[in-house]
Amino acid sequence: MAILEATRLAKRFGPVTAVHDVSITVAEGEVAALLGPNGAGKSTTLHMLLGLITPDAGTITLFGMELARHRVEALSRVNFAASYVDLPGPLLVQEVIDVFARFYAVRRPKERVAEMIELLELGPLRRRRLMDLSSGQRTRVQLAKALVNAPRLLVLDEPTANLDPDAGDRIRGLLSRVARDSGAAMLITSHNMREVERMCDRIHFLAEGRVVAAGSAAELAGHYGAEDLEGVFLKVARG
Amino acid sequence: MTALPLHPDPAPALTLPPLGFAARRSRVLGVVRRDFAALRRSPIRIFEILFWPTVELLLWGFVTLFLRTQRVPFVVAFLLGAVLLWQVLQKASNEISIAFLEDIWSRNLLNVQVSPLSSTEYLVGLVLFSLGKVVFAVAMMAGLAYALYGFGVTSLGVGLVPFMGVLLLLGWSLGLVGIAAVLRFGENAQVIAWSLVFVVQPLAGIFYPVSVLPAPLRAVSWFLPASHVFEGMRTVMAGGAVPWDRLAWAGALDVVYLALTLALYAWALGYARRHGKLSRFGD
Ligand SMILES: Nc1ncnc2c1ncn2[C@@H]1O[C@H](COP(=O)(O)OP(=O)(O)OP(=O)(O)O)[C@@H](O)[C@H]1O
Ligand SMILES: [Mg+2]
Repeated sequence: MAILEATRLAKRFGPVTAVHDVSITVAEGEVAALLGPNGAGKSTTLHMLLGLITPDAGTITLFGMELARHRVEALSRVNFAASYVDLPGPLLVQEVIDVFARFYAVRRPKERVAEMIELLELGPLRRRRLMDLSSGQRTRVQLAKALVNAPRLLVLDEPTANLDPDAGDRIRGLLSRVARDSGAAMLITSHNMREVERMCDRIHFLAEGRVVAAGSAAELAGHYGAEDLEGVFLKVARG
Repeated sequence: MTALPLHPDPAPALTLPPLGFAARRSRVLGVVRRDFAALRRSPIRIFEILFWPTVELLLWGFVTLFLRTQRVPFVVAFLLGAVLLWQVLQKASNEISIAFLEDIWSRNLLNVQVSPLSSTEYLVGLVLFSLGKVVFAVAMMAGLAYALYGFGVTSLGVGLVPFMGVLLLLGWSLGLVGIAAVLRFGENAQVIAWSLVFVVQPLAGIFYPVSVLPAPLRAVSWFLPASHVFEGMRTVMAGGAVPWDRLAWAGALDVVYLALTLALYAWALGYARRHGKLSRFGD
């Protein structure tokens, strides 16, 4: 069953056509990527799927429910993290996770917070304020927040953008395990081609607001006669 | 990293049914907990809650002491009562817009907006927490007014509760206008969130009777719920009865304004979503 079905999405901001006729389907347990150059419309697409931006045209169905009409039910089973959002600075790590456990109506918030702290190895940081953490540490807290409701769909906008190679690698490993063990579907954007190759089952290439190609990394490489995803990216981005 | 404590199909077991009462309560109390934690971790903010009311109380307290030496009758109690009730209005208005702005300042707005928290639940949470802060600040001021100037709020009698209720509702409406302005016009509109309540100040006859206003402004003040509270306060302090008819009118106005400002908030949020503004705050 498709967890997410977006059909013919379109969005303009004044004279700029950010997204044009984009359709994306994400299946249960699939890890999908949105790839494309800066300004291609990736974040705009993700924000429409999350209800942050109202599309000009098109429909969004999550878990078989239309997002516009079943916002609360749909969003209860989704979660989100991005390099450009932050969590409340004055709060302690454990308080932040607890607050979001309640926003997502987790039945036993205390236990769930403890599980998330364990999963993301936040034990030593539990009682530190968010504003005092490094960006890699903050990313881990954001992922704890993003996993707190055990989402069926996890939307990640450049999740590893602020991380050093080691921290990025650990986060990738963690996300892959989450996808495998929990069966959660993921929709990810990234400018790190190797990350996408390693993690993603299916890649949607966006350029100037349109999906110009879709398939697995190997399929795309074959189709474009490129050595790897980076080669595909350069060919697609440069027309 | 250890084995993953993730449930294969978590939806039924891990979380409450999203539309049920328990889930709604969880989300509303989540907002209250968040604001409470933020306050507890910001000593400056706690200081601020106490600072301005105390300064205003001292200022107007000494003014009244001076006026007493000039043998101006009744004025003492009027001014102190006015300062106390004015704080209710100002705090109710500012606290809820601050809570919203804090999400923008800490770049947390998107996390809140993609969560299942509905607008109503979010606003109910903000209102509950602001209520707690207002009650705390007023109780503190009332104690201080009694200790320093022998002014007891109980001199307002049974009117105190409806007086405060009318002002709280008006304050929340004004706060909502401030939030709506920020959603519509961007962060720079936060000056509106701070200053709107001061537009009410001269018109609502807080420190003087409405009768000193010129006729057109007097007409305007009739449509401000706050005017009826401050007029009523003076009536009660001068030994009169609580003017229930005027309070009922003020309450009706409150309800109308709250409905209008809720609609305005909903419209502004829709505008922000249509124009992709939610992700543009803080840049
Ligand atoms: N709220 C907005 N108002 C006006 N223009 C916008 C807004 N959001 C996005 N745009 C424009 O829409 C286009 C797509 O932007 P978007 O952020 O979706 O790109 P992206 O693919 O995420 O790029 P990047 O890789 O740089 O993050 C850009 O031209 C951008 O300037
Ligand atoms: Mg982007």
